[in-house]
Amino acid sequence: MLLWVVMALMTGAAVMAVLWPLSRRVSGAEIDSRGDVEFYRDQLAEIERELDRGLLSGDQADAARAEAGRRLLRAHADAQPALASTGEPALRRRRAAAAFSLSIIPLIALAVYGALGSPQTPFRAEKAGAMADVARDLGSALARIESHLAAQPEDGRGWDVIAPVYLGAGRYDDAVKAYAAARRIQGDTVDRLNGHGEALVSAAGGVVSAEAAGIFARALALDPGSAKARFYGALAAEQDGNAAKAREEYGRMLAGADPQAPWVPVVRARLEKLEGKEPARPPIQAESPEIIAMVEGLDSRLAREGGSGSEWARLVRSFAVLGRQEEAQDRLAKAKTALAGDAQAVAGLDKLAQDLGLDGQEKLR
Amino acid sequence: MIVEAGHYALTLALGLSLLQCAIPFWGARSNDPVLMGSAVPAAIGVAALVGFAFVALLIAYVTSDFTVLNVVENSHSAKPMIYKITGVWGNHEGSMLLWVLILALFGAMVAASRHLPVRLKTNALCVQAAITIAFLVFILFSSNPFTRVEPPPAEGQDLNPVLQDIGLAIHPPLLYFGYVGFSMTFALAMAALIDGRVDAVWARAARPWTLLAWSFLTLGISMGSYWAYYELGWGGFWFWDPVENASLMPWLAGTALLHSVVVMEKREALKVWTILLAILTFSLSLLGTFLVRSGVLTSVHAFAVDPARGVFILAILSIFIGGSLAVFAWRAPLLRGGGIFAPISREGALILNNLLLASACATVFLGTLYPLVLEAFTGEKISVGTPYYNLTFLPILLPLMLVLPLGQALAWKRGDLFAVVQRLGALLGVSIALALGLIAFTAGGPVLAPLAIGLGAFLLLSGAGEIWTRSHVRGRPVSVAFRRAVGLPRSAWGSALAHAGLGITVIGIAAQAWSSETITAARPGTQMSVGRHTARLDSVRPRTGPNYTEDVVTLSLWRDGRPMGTLETTKRLYPARNSPTTEAGILTRGFDQIYVSVGEIGTDGSVGLRLYDKPLVLLIWIGSLFMAAGGGLSLTDRRLRVGVPVRARGGVAAQAAPAGGAA
Amino acid sequence: MTRKGRRLTIIGTAGLVLAGALGLALNALRDTIVFFRSPSEVASKAVPPGTRFRLGGLVDTGSVKRGTDQLVEFKVGDGATSVPVRYKGLLPDLFREGQGVVTEGMMSPAGVFVADTVLARHDETYMPREVADALKAQGVWQGDAQQQSARR
Repeated sequence: MLLWVVMALMTGAAVMAVLWPLSRRVSGAEIDSRGDVEFYRDQLAEIERELDRGLLSGDQADAARAEAGRRLLRAHADAQPALASTGEPALRRRRAAAAFSLSIIPLIALAVYGALGSPQTPFRAEKAGAMADVARDLGSALARIESHLAAQPEDGRGWDVIAPVYLGAGRYDDAVKAYAAARRIQGDTVDRLNGHGEALVSAAGGVVSAEAAGIFARALALDPGSAKARFYGALAAEQDGNAAKAREEYGRMLAGADPQAPWVPVVRARLEKLEGKEPARPPIQAESPEIIAMVEGLDSRLAREGGSGSEWARLVRSFAVLGRQEEAQDRLAKAKTALAGDAQAVAGLDKLAQDLGLDGQEKLR
Repeated sequence: MIVEAGHYALTLALGLSLLQCAIPFWGARSNDPVLMGSAVPAAIGVAALVGFAFVALLIAYVTSDFTVLNVVENSHSAKPMIYKITGVWGNHEGSMLLWVLILALFGAMVAASRHLPVRLKTNALCVQAAITIAFLVFILFSSNPFTRVEPPPAEGQDLNPVLQDIGLAIHPPLLYFGYVGFSMTFALAMAALIDGRVDAVWARAARPWTLLAWSFLTLGISMGSYWAYYELGWGGFWFWDPVENASLMPWLAGTALLHSVVVMEKREALKVWTILLAILTFSLSLLGTFLVRSGVLTSVHAFAVDPARGVFILAILSIFIGGSLAVFAWRAPLLRGGGIFAPISREGALILNNLLLASACATVFLGTLYPLVLEAFTGEKISVGTPYYNLTFLPILLPLMLVLPLGQALAWKRGDLFAVVQRLGALLGVSIALALGLIAFTAGGPVLAPLAIGLGAFLLLSGAGEIWTRSHVRGRPVSVAFRRAVGLPRSAWGSALAHAGLGITVIGIAAQAWSSETITAARPGTQMSVGRHTARLDSVRPRTGPNYTEDVVTLSLWRDGRPMGTLETTKRLYPARNSPTTEAGILTRGFDQIYVSVGEIGTDGSVGLRLYDKPLVLLIWIGSLFMAAGGGLSLTDRRLRVGVPVRARGGVAAQAAPAGGAA
Repeated sequence: MTRKGRRLTIIGTAGLVLAGALGLALNALRDTIVFFRSPSEVASKAVPPGTRFRLGGLVDTGSVKRGTDQLVEFKVGDGATSVPVRYKGLLPDLFREGQGVVTEGMMSPAGVFVADTVLARHDETYMPREVADALKAQGVWQGDAQQQSARR
């Protein structure tokens, strides 16, 4: 509410800035009092001052005065025709100008702001204030750990603490390094291995590299019951084109699963897709509004300013996961246009489209 | 809330500048003083609105409001406060906002000025508003700093320690003050073309803006050069990098403009050329602003890569450069030609100055843009480096500097070259003797450098000599001369100071011919020699900082067996980002510096070191400070100058023009 | 001097200065420009020894050998081929195996690129543009992540 009041006040002030001078009655003489003529008069006065101070000799002053006088005469001759400040045409002009300003300022400001602004966000910003405090604490804690690690890079526990924080904050490369350090110093555990693998996968934009697959395999060897390790192993097989193995793995996971486990719908969806069925329904149905907002935010940003291949891929995947197939399809096309110069990225997108069942052939069928 | 209000203020400013452009222009066409008068409050209003928007962004940075995308991408809550503040313009969006803010503030200053003829002021404010509109549209639609994110991330992304440097934080704003200052000269030039009237009054209006812009640009370039010197660890002060050239070109054109405006003010000559220079200088400023930001440059500086904005930028460039040149071609023939004058005169010398500066600017332009054009057409990638500029830029600047003291001493209108040479003869003799002495003293060393030092000394001495000859009259006591010197116009002092500063810089650059470099691998205890000095590596110790570890390399230095002190150079590692940086160690003695940067520290304990002995190197930047100070001093010359020529006669022949301005 | 004469003097001087500047610039351009080559181009075009050019690509992993007295040898590759490089001096902070680099120098008759300048990335997010283009042409660079960070 306050925002609207402030905006209204600002608009008023801006309009008044133009309307106020238009409403004044000014005589032409008053306005043109400072002009060329004035300039040369000043010059003459200055010559007198210099003469008084002994900086000019009498001869020089005479010559200077003569020259300035000549220019002054010319300036008089050049003087502008009388200004048209009164009379009916002038009034009409002013009225038109006033109407123009009264309409154009709010019109432009509101149109542009309406298109670009996000007036609904401020109310969250107040909430975000509290969040920012938490963030600041988190940030300073992070900084503390970082500086601690700078001093004692061999402290494995520090790396243990910081690695998941990096992963959560989206600093995947840092997370990869932190997990690697923790494993090197503290040895392998299932959690560290899984975290390391996940960080690698995230850093690679969702691709399970051979290195990541190896790490998950080791995690699985340590704990055959680790769902995460098994899932990524299956995903790796799927990405390698080994559908049979992926199907088998997914199947085994579901067979031994607690039906309440959070990952069950994800696995089931992947399995169904592999088996050629349309996913029963998008696995994550009741998405929180925050996630939807985030996806839409990403969407509008990419539409506005474009982005990298991995960002587009994330967007397409998000829409697909949210079950908004048309949008996923549409953004996929847009992404390909946007990244047309980048063969690598387009290939990645094609692969993604295949994975998500979005590719063109499927559509034709 | 404040962020949205700032965003809205920016859109309001767009609307208001549209009016600032349209209504006064209409008023000027129909000769209506009331409509024309609306330009003034509109310009002040735009400045207030843009200022509000900037403050809003500043607050978002200071409070780390991570609902703002720009803050998320360029800040971090754990950053030191000073870098949160400088972070506002440390990125593309914020820097563009700063650009417009400076533009609007300058517009408001023009609006508030009471010394301008009303039509000139009105038209200039219209043109200025047009520039504001273009930049506001660019900011709002392609580089909006007020874009929000929802939900806000917990933390910002930029804690890059390498970029947290005070030199990097303040030199771009200085450059922007320079670039934008030239926009006011540009606006005045366009206004003059629109009205078809260019005269001494115009020149007097344009001169302060040119001086202001030029002084800031000088400072900005000099700061940027010093930053590169101590931060990049190569010990060089100028790399002919396209980004540096982008600021050098408007400086060269601006220097020419500064001088031709004086000719116009005093002699009502060079009108068409001065207007053209004003247009070109601002065009180069625009190019300078955008070349860096559009990422088209192959450059070690290029950190902004975004071709999407390129189209927008290209549109702005072609509208303003193409549009203004078109107006120029259409209206310039209507300008009443100025007087013609003798080749041997102050104005004749200034024409030569303009010619040489313009040529120098053209060679830099060619060297900077030729690779881009070639790549666009043939795909061939080339780089144009120092050798090119040594063969083109220097041969053009050398005669310029030789003629400078003569031009400075010549009288307006009809100079007496013989008298001037006689007067400067002694100074020239001293300088040549200095050069010859240096050659003899450093036998077998560089030959050109002593000559260049002689040239620098000549410039420096003739700057001082100019003040002396203007205030000293033969047969009068020194006290009179002193009183007269104090009474000289500040602009005369300013020009003498700036020219002397150029001399100082030339000496500093020339002295680098005697700098020496030693690259070596050393262990603690190793002695090495660099130039006139002996250095010993004392120790290599690890040390931990707030968020980094570093290896501190300590060296002791001797000169002729006398100890000079110790210095430290470090290799830092920020583990969170795994990025190493080198902090060069600099030991300053007088104007000399010993500069050491550390390379790799081998596993066997050997340390790669790069040592430089740089005699008189500080003079390079001290000279440029003198130049900027000279510009500033001229700017404070608030007297209404008497732009009237004085014929040199009889006994006052040696006095030149008492009212002469900065030449 | 007559009015016309003065005008001619000024125009003549202007013409002379401009012609001189143009001559200098063209002459310098012919002699001083340095071409950029990728390792593949070096392999296919056979650049004659003694011609200065810039060579850019990725430092091959495992190829960096440090000799005595600041001598460094490494290979610069673009995925297709590699060119051996020899350099004497301090390497930039961000010179690393697997990272982009631009070197300037000339080929020795033995087919080794003798560099006198090595430029690595200016900061950790910067990829030399020619290197990126050359690598893209070879299909090596998956540059999206870098490009994204380079925009900050």
